[in-house]
Amino acid sequence: MAEPRNAFEDLPGDLMMWILIVSELLVFGAGLVAFLSVRIADPNGFADAQATLHRTGAGVNTMILVTSGWLAAMAAVAANAGSLARTRVLLGGAAALGAVFLIVKGIEYADKAAHGITFETHAFFTFYFLLTGFHAAHVAAGIVLLGLVAVRCHPRTVEVGTAFWHMVDLVWVILFPILYLLG
Amino acid sequence: MALSASTTLIALIGQTGLIVALAILMLAWAKALIILRSYLGLAAAPAWGRGFAIVLGAYMILAMALVAMAGAA
Repeated sequence: MAEPRNAFEDLPGDLMMWILIVSELLVFGAGLVAFLSVRIADPNGFADAQATLHRTGAGVNTMILVTSGWLAAMAAVAANAGSLARTRVLLGGAAALGAVFLIVKGIEYADKAAHGITFETHAFFTFYFLLTGFHAAHVAAGIVLLGLVAVRCHPRTVEVGTAFWHMVDLVWVILFPILYLLG
Repeated sequence: MALSASTTLIALIGQTGLIVALAILMLAWAKALIILRSYLGLAAAPAWGRGFAIVLGAYMILAMALVAMAGAA
């Protein structure tokens, strides 16, 4: 008699990475729902605080991260095709764009600091620093992970490493409009 | 990438209001679905893909409802 099929076997990549991805999505999802819930009590205050953010810079950063995600996806394709050098170049490109994202984020934080804006300035900024800071920490971790899988280059490891990077990308495409654009 | 550019463009044009906010969230929803299906490979696992799409859809509808409540406040 045949063994019953395990649904988890259908998931692409590594199950542990999916557990991590879902856990991270739940944390960020809860943070953004909390942000939107608190915003109901003071929509004008949140809109005024949001107006101090640099939307163009964040938009450029979105394009940078989306491009980086595309390079990571291409790296996974190259790894499956057995092209080691191409995989490493693409992973390096994805990581480099991740570093550019962090530099732009650092400039953004420095600008806020220069204007005396901190965690305590307004509830909006408490969420802003917590959520974007936590996301930036994941970008930094992702850069390290992409570097590791570039060194230990194998289709399986590249798939797992790039899956983490796509999770970072996925969080940003939801976080960016909610924090920066809703007004 | 085109969806990201559209999202930023809508915001930069300076249009505000509930409809614009909901349009921005719809674009984010579409981008998230593309990442799940194409980049994270859920297109190859349709049952998991549907499950993630349903949860994401419920989440985005909740986010839109909260945005609408702030607009009505």
